[in-house]
Amino acid sequence: MHAMAAIVRVIGALNAVIGRVMSWLALGIVIACFTVVVQRYLFGVSYLWLRDLYIWLNGAMFTGVAGFALARGDHVRVDIFYRPASVRRKAVIDLFGVLVFLLPFMVVVVVYSWPFVTRSWSYWEGSSNVGGMPGLFVLKSFIIVFSVLVALQGIAMALRAVLVLADREHLLPEHLRYPPNVAAAVHTPGETGQEGTL
Amino acid sequence: MDLVLLGELLSSLMFFGIIGFLMLGFPVAFTLAGVSLLFGLLGWGLGVFDPSNFGSLPNRYIGFMSNEVLVAVPLFIFMGVMLEKSGIAEQLLLTMSKLFGNLRGGLGLSVVLVGAMLAASTGVVGATVVTMGLISLPAMLRAGYDPKLATGVISASGTLGQIIPPSTVLIFMGDMLSGINAQVQMEKGNFAPVPVSVGDLFTGALLPGLLLVGLYASYVIFKAITDPASCPATPVPPEERSGLLREVAVALIPPLLLILAVLGSILGGIATPTEAASVGAVGAMVLAALRWRMSFSILTQTVVATATITSMVFIILFGASVFSIVFRLMGGDNLVHAVLTSLPGGAMTAMVVVMLMMFVLGFILDSFEIIFIVIPITAPVLLALDIDPIWLGVMVGVNLQTSFLTPPFGFALFYLRGVAPDSLPTSAIYRGIIPFVILQFIAIILLFVFPQIVLWLPRG
Repeated sequence: MHAMAAIVRVIGALNAVIGRVMSWLALGIVIACFTVVVQRYLFGVSYLWLRDLYIWLNGAMFTGVAGFALARGDHVRVDIFYRPASVRRKAVIDLFGVLVFLLPFMVVVVVYSWPFVTRSWSYWEGSSNVGGMPGLFVLKSFIIVFSVLVALQGIAMALRAVLVLADREHLLPEHLRYPPNVAAAVHTPGETGQEGTL
Repeated sequence: MDLVLLGELLSSLMFFGIIGFLMLGFPVAFTLAGVSLLFGLLGWGLGVFDPSNFGSLPNRYIGFMSNEVLVAVPLFIFMGVMLEKSGIAEQLLLTMSKLFGNLRGGLGLSVVLVGAMLAASTGVVGATVVTMGLISLPAMLRAGYDPKLATGVISASGTLGQIIPPSTVLIFMGDMLSGINAQVQMEKGNFAPVPVSVGDLFTGALLPGLLLVGLYASYVIFKAITDPASCPATPVPPEERSGLLREVAVALIPPLLLILAVLGSILGGIATPTEAASVGAVGAMVLAALRWRMSFSILTQTVVATATITSMVFIILFGASVFSIVFRLMGGDNLVHAVLTSLPGGAMTAMVVVMLMMFVLGFILDSFEIIFIVIPITAPVLLALDIDPIWLGVMVGVNLQTSFLTPPFGFALFYLRGVAPDSLPTSAIYRGIIPFVILQFIAIILLFVFPQIVLWLPRG
């Protein structure tokens, strides 16, 4: 049980670090895209690689932070029944979901993307645009990075569920436990980490 | 059993299976993919699905990851979150309510106007409803507003972000519809089709968005005239009134100019949505900095919120891709095509059926999930029936916005319940929204009967 709790902690910390660092790509997208706009409209020049850059930054960002978003509970749920459920019930649902939905999905993505990514590495594939960015293989690799990070976070979710079902949730630090079921705080975007739907 | 029939049966079972499993409450993106994989496995065993088709997954994924149009999504989210976290949205609301406070119904009107402005700067529905619920709801209740009117106007105005450009839902829809439209026109032998862009969808959504703003405002004014007790004036004390002009110049004008510049450059065809969005994001940072509200902490919160919200939406798209592959290859597309083209009444009946289906799905799913599931399987048929893609996109937008508002599962109502004081009964929120839902239906019927409201600007 202690080993399980340790794994949950390590995976949580890993995704938190990666997620927080990769979130800054959002600022990178803003700066790169704004630079392209300024160059184009004020100076009449454009560099295709810079255009590729901000597009690719988005691809890397949303795949890279997906595991972190899962850990924070940002991935939307249909929570009509989930929200009011007891912690044990939530644990059962999470355990089932990870084993039956999440892990098979990630396995399928890795299996079918592997040849696609390795082929790209084999000839150091770059942008298809003339004058574009080199290193499309790096972006493609993020499909694998995404699957691995989300699968790891899924495993952490499943282990946490097992700890709850074995009445050992106290082995986890506060921030990794299920958030308390406060009736009033049903759906407060921003406060629970859930930023809300768009 | 006939294999074609079996495949069609499995694909429809899968659709309902997904709805059922989603009710468990496991994150939507993974449930969508997981259930589709289970049905794919079943279909494989029964000989109606070939798993090698998943080989197209990485191509689809890298397509989303290197899509220029969709970069507008994180950029607009960045802009909206920055305006919210730096307190600019809050300031806007406070100033606007002082400006209109002297009027009966003034606070309500200010909510409608600020809702429209925040919507025009991205409109994260959850955040908008919460901001207004935290600031305007207590103010209105203190002023003696009828709680039904107060909560109704906040929920409705908070969802305007779904439809008023630059709505992120419309960005995804525009990107999907432009691809589907090109393909459909090609199949019809039209090799030089008029392209549809996100910008077109934004332009088409402008008048319908303003129509809704007008309807909400008219309702508040109507209440102010016929039922003055429901929305009393809140006179601004004279010592505050002297500084009001300055406050308007500081709090109201700069964000308004930013929003107009961003939207104007898209609608005027000067810049693409992505380019304009980056200007909006930089502009929001400049506004925050000018107010000394820019700090490392605010910036960190903004990038983390932007990255995680963006990720959440795109990963649903990843999950929905698995659904699309399995559904299409098991023959679900043919089934949808057969059903939609065999309806009496032709294209318009098909449109009504699809709209009703989306509306019902809107009770449990939010807009992104619905469009990612429903648009790829129904839009090809509808567009082949000569329905205008811009009109389709905007109708879907208004429709889904409405389903955010309908009890018992409207998302906007949940968000507001979360921040409303406990003394306010939930029934007030549910009853308060009724007149606004009626206004929504009026708007939908108007857009249905007079598609020109949508098409005049982009096609004119």
